[in-house]
Amino acid sequence: MNHLLRTARNSALPIIVLTAVGTLIYFFAEAYQVRIAYAFFMNLVVAIGLQVFMGNSGVVSFGHVSFMGVSAYVVAILTIPLALKKTQIPDAPFGLGFVQFDVVTAILIALAVTVAFAWVSGLLIKRVSGAAGEILTLAVLVICYVVFNAWIDLTRGPRSLYGIPIASSLPWAMLASAFVIFVAKFFRDSEDGLQLRASSENMLAARSMGVRVERLRLKAWVLSGFLVAIGGVLHATYLGTIGPNSYYFTQTFLIMAMVILGGMRSVSGVIVGTALISVGSELARTLENGPMVFGTKLPTMFGLTGFFLGAVIVLCMTLRRDGIMGDDEFEDVLRNRRASKAAKAAADTAAQAV
Amino acid sequence: MLELSNITVQYGVVKAVRGVSLKVEKGEIVSLLGPNGAGKSSLVSAAVGILPVAGGTIRFEGTDITKKPAETVVAMGLTLTPEGRRVFADLSVAENLHLGAATRKDRDGVAADIEKYLKMFPILGERYHQTAKTLSGGEQQMLAIARSLMSRPKLLMLDEPSLGLAPRIVDRIFELMLDLKRDGLTMLVVEQNATDALGISDRGYILASGSLVYEGDAKAMVDSEDLMEAYLGSGVH
Amino acid sequence: MEYFIQQLVNALSVGSEYALLALGLAIVFSIIGLVNFAHGELITVAGYAMFFAAATWLPNPWLALPIGIGGAALAAIVFEKVAFRAIRNASTNTGILTAFGVSIIVQNVFIIFVATRPKPVQTPDFLSSMITIGELTVPTLQVLETVVTTIAIAALLIILKKTTVGMAMRAASKDFMAVRLMGIKANWVIQSAFIISGILAGIAAVFIISRRGAVDPFMGSVPVLKAFVACVLGGLGSLQGAVIGGVALGVFEVLLQVTLPQEITAYRDAIVFGVVGLVLVAFPQGLLGRKVELGDKEA
Repeated sequence: MNHLLRTARNSALPIIVLTAVGTLIYFFAEAYQVRIAYAFFMNLVVAIGLQVFMGNSGVVSFGHVSFMGVSAYVVAILTIPLALKKTQIPDAPFGLGFVQFDVVTAILIALAVTVAFAWVSGLLIKRVSGAAGEILTLAVLVICYVVFNAWIDLTRGPRSLYGIPIASSLPWAMLASAFVIFVAKFFRDSEDGLQLRASSENMLAARSMGVRVERLRLKAWVLSGFLVAIGGVLHATYLGTIGPNSYYFTQTFLIMAMVILGGMRSVSGVIVGTALISVGSELARTLENGPMVFGTKLPTMFGLTGFFLGAVIVLCMTLRRDGIMGDDEFEDVLRNRRASKAAKAAADTAAQAV
Repeated sequence: MLELSNITVQYGVVKAVRGVSLKVEKGEIVSLLGPNGAGKSSLVSAAVGILPVAGGTIRFEGTDITKKPAETVVAMGLTLTPEGRRVFADLSVAENLHLGAATRKDRDGVAADIEKYLKMFPILGERYHQTAKTLSGGEQQMLAIARSLMSRPKLLMLDEPSLGLAPRIVDRIFELMLDLKRDGLTMLVVEQNATDALGISDRGYILASGSLVYEGDAKAMVDSEDLMEAYLGSGVH
Repeated sequence: MEYFIQQLVNALSVGSEYALLALGLAIVFSIIGLVNFAHGELITVAGYAMFFAAATWLPNPWLALPIGIGGAALAAIVFEKVAFRAIRNASTNTGILTAFGVSIIVQNVFIIFVATRPKPVQTPDFLSSMITIGELTVPTLQVLETVVTTIAIAALLIILKKTTVGMAMRAASKDFMAVRLMGIKANWVIQSAFIISGILAGIAAVFIISRRGAVDPFMGSVPVLKAFVACVLGGLGSLQGAVIGGVALGVFEVLLQVTLPQEITAYRDAIVFGVVGLVLVAFPQGLLGRKVELGDKEA
């Protein structure tokens, strides 16, 4: 209980700030700005979901975007109206061509399916560490992508599935990210989170103290899979149409840059990173299209966004490996500042006394 | 020839060596003694440039080498035979020796040196084409020393050359060092085995908890039972 | 029988391609522990070097071959100098992510300055011809790929066995500090490893491009994924493992292609990755890898 309250207190600041900004945008901004804000909150959910695994276990995962894809496809297949389904995926297996669920049920099923998938893949992932383990997460990404493309009866293959009821809007994305922030911080500071983080720093020491690293790694993997799945739901129910390319390398780059820039070991870091990358890639996208600057039309430069993301990752790794926030959460930064202020005040008083 | 002044070596916040100064003159054998964890290995590793120095200066033949990387220092003629031998286990004896001479361009000289050391260490000749991991501990130590010598060092630092070896082999290695001295090689020997090391040395230094606690003439040190008791404990046997 | 031999030649050529790429990855990994995600971009750079050479000042497709290989080697040097040197002693994670970043940058540089669309590249005509031996007809390219790979591996073996840099690389893969104590410059050893990995990738690139006839910014991603798989299969960092893993993967892929019913072949890559995943779970160090205990010295 204590831990719940403490987490609530520690998550309050970012949640309040994000909610305030989001609300202002929702009520006062242009439609395209609302769309950008929605994308921000959705990516925040995915990035924090990824942080729960990467940040605590210290293992880099290239596979998480697949969880987004699985949940988005399940929602899509379960909610697309029957008439539309008949034209898109008439031969859907398991009789899925003839069922349609309401959105809430479909979402719950999607989350359950993704969690089950995360659990099964996690049973394998948890057993392989180091570089080989990271390549295994890459295998998850490739396998899902191939299946999305190849299982044409179920997913319509490389072509988009459309007609998903649009049930989500900015407030839902805000709510989801608040939930995800809370869960991620709760896990980070929980007994399991602490032990897992300790093990990522010194596996041998943690093992010798009886930390069951594999079990904890599996737990983090499944939990983060669940959170990322929420991102997939947000994606499908807002756009109304999905395709396999949304859940492959491009999205992985984006999320990875967000997590790394802010600092993968800190939830607050991921929030900062997501905000900066969102703004940055929005700017890059504007430049890509060759905007007018001081009356001159700049040339179009497709690829600038990707270049920007790659550069952020490389610069971060060479200049500031732990990201902007390092190991710190917002509350740590505040506490340190207060502490150093107090120390300075004390020193001043002492100086005056002398 | 080698002059360490006020050297500090640090691992994170832990100071392994605190402001140690020592000197090795041309033609000497100098022992660096002290218990396990005294900072001896850190000091010689810093001297050769594989550990960064946190404070102080290192001069070799008058040149400041404090910030020079190991590869440069070795090419200048200051070499370390590291603790635990660290021979290249998957490479043959021949290849190990060849790599030892990597800084040299004189092919004929290298070939002559190989011949010379195979004479000095006949066992290496017998095992010439075997991989180093098939050698016994003593043989590996001889290979490690021969490998260091292949770079034609002016000053050779040996880190615990007797570690884990049978007494008979230890004697053999110390004899070899005397031979090398006669050939004009200067040496700095890190040892826990104080009596034997001082037996072949001109001077000695004792390190404890990262600080220098004694320096002096080797003969006098062996004779001073108090000193041996106080700092080198189990070393006297 | 004829069909069998044709498929065998095919399998060997695919396997050779993977082996070349996996070898390059393995050499770099064994020495500095870097999982070089950007290895695939060496292929891309080779491809564009060939494209530009043909399009501008050297319209002779024969000359395109050394230019491609040289381009890949040069790119490998540049990657090392600009990005990987700065993170040399950092963790595996830092390395893998930096390489990931480099790979994205290179892809997008080609998108920005050339185009996303594929560009045609001409290679010498005989590479697309067929060889007929008695009853048997096989593509020249496939035979050549296997032969050239064998030669390249033999040359690599000679370098590793007979030259100082080769011995230093073998020694450095186990104990880099001791190599430096021999007075051998770390940069020299590491750069040589990158150059070798670049040349091997360049050779593979020539064959890949001859087969595709075109280059595009993403052409390196799929081959490098396969090379990862080959490396992991053989045990990360093991050179023999990389070759055996590459050939095994090629044979396995062709086997799947030939034996699976048409509607399942679309899943081929998923099956390959799935099987490799299962192998890894059973043998976490790869099929030929050395078991590393926790607490062992990191080489």
